[in-house]
Amino acid sequence: MAEAQYKILVVDDEVDLQPLMLQRMRRDIRAGRYSFVFAHNGIEALEKLNEDDTIDMVLSDINMPQMDGLTLLEQIPTVDPNIKSVIVSAYGDMKNIRTAMNRGAFDFVTKPLDFADLRITIERTLAHLTEWRAALASRDQLVSLQKELDVANKMQKSILPTRFPRQADYEVFAHMEPARNVGGDFYDVINLEHGRIGLCIADVSDKGVPAALFMMSSRTLLKGASIGCEDPGDVLQEVNDLLRETNDTEMFVTLLYGIYDPATGDFTYANGGHNEPLLVRPDGSSSLLPRTGGIILGVMAGMEFAHNTINVGPGDTLFLYTDGVSEAMNVEAEEFGMERLAAIFAETPPNDAEDTTMAVFKAVHAFAGETPQSDDITCLTLHRSESGS
Amino acid sequence: MMEVTSERRGSTVIINTAGRVDGSNASEFQDALEANIGAEDSAVILNLAALDYISSAGLRIILLSAKNLRQRDVGFSICSLSSSVHELFIISGFDQIIAIHSSPETALAAQEG
Repeated sequence: MAEAQYKILVVDDEVDLQPLMLQRMRRDIRAGRYSFVFAHNGIEALEKLNEDDTIDMVLSDINMPQMDGLTLLEQIPTVDPNIKSVIVSAYGDMKNIRTAMNRGAFDFVTKPLDFADLRITIERTLAHLTEWRAALASRDQLVSLQKELDVANKMQKSILPTRFPRQADYEVFAHMEPARNVGGDFYDVINLEHGRIGLCIADVSDKGVPAALFMMSSRTLLKGASIGCEDPGDVLQEVNDLLRETNDTEMFVTLLYGIYDPATGDFTYANGGHNEPLLVRPDGSSSLLPRTGGIILGVMAGMEFAHNTINVGPGDTLFLYTDGVSEAMNVEAEEFGMERLAAIFAETPPNDAEDTTMAVFKAVHAFAGETPQSDDITCLTLHRSESGS
Repeated sequence: MMEVTSERRGSTVIINTAGRVDGSNASEFQDALEANIGAEDSAVILNLAALDYISSAGLRIILLSAKNLRQRDVGFSICSLSSSVHELFIISGFDQIIAIHSSPETALAAQEG
């Protein structure tokens, strides 16, 4: 039989997992998509990694005898810094998940394993891995700028979630359209404890593969810092300090991060130099969220970030965006601007997160006409249902 | 779309930037700034009175220059921001790390004081 496309090392001390995994993933195995290698603790996992340099990703449990998953995570880069790891943890074990993300885990899944969800996570990790390798290759070979931008573009896309919460009482939708001259926008929707969700929108300065790599670390650091942390200001402070440690190129990211609590409609946010989101009322009138005065991330360590809380009432819509929206230009070199944005909502008061998001893209495209898009355009919309539940 | 010129006042160089600075010409902007700063200059004032637009890629170049100059012990400040550019400096928090003045004269006075 030919070599499978990707080889995954599964590390778990439960012996039942091996037959279960082989059974549930049999289609992908038969199709030559994945092959699996198994280890029962961290030490055995490291031995397998040392013996076999064709392993692409690691899926590891946390609690295991001899060497646990968190220690293993620390050791993997010494064998191969480009292996991507996904951690399996008990549901709600935020402390360990957070440690794992801080130690470079790409993502996590929770027990009991949902195999449909696991397959999505594996596919996302492998897609990212492919782009990551292409990025490294393009860096090594100094290929043409266009090729590099193309790689950066794909890397950017591979980390963006495409499935969003759609609950009876609220829904989220987000979309990003990269410019050819890719800048490095990203968004994230993070599940937190007690049914709350973390929402993030960000824009990395500069372009190309360096910006895409910076975007990757920003996204991973944010995800790690956000888990188990109640104060968005503290989250930004941690991300800022960690980005600063490894940033000698003066790249930076503007990033707004907030926590939405569906139980109350409260949205608590902190801002690292990003445009303030808009709160749109059911009648279509809108206002910018109050400024909290934080600085862009990655530039200066030790900065503090204030937070603020607003209430998203029944029927209200929270609209996060990057400057690719407000600064889109038309043939007369006019900017789209905030007034045109507010006019979209005034004309059609939002009642659906996806429709609202796409209406903004449509308006921006209609305005820009033939003018080439010079910056990524990203929007993230949260709509709270009128009825409230 | 972008024009960079400079003038000298004693050992201070005033660099005037006009037009648009974005991802497409940020590295040009960086080269132009470096070309206009002499080894003998003790302070640099970036006059942005005629700057119509600057993107985050442009802000990054300003930040790089500010850091480089600080390491060489050369003064750095910015003056004459239009209201929209000033707004951007406030939103990004740049006003917390780079001195901003209303005119070249006040920037010069602050350099000397």
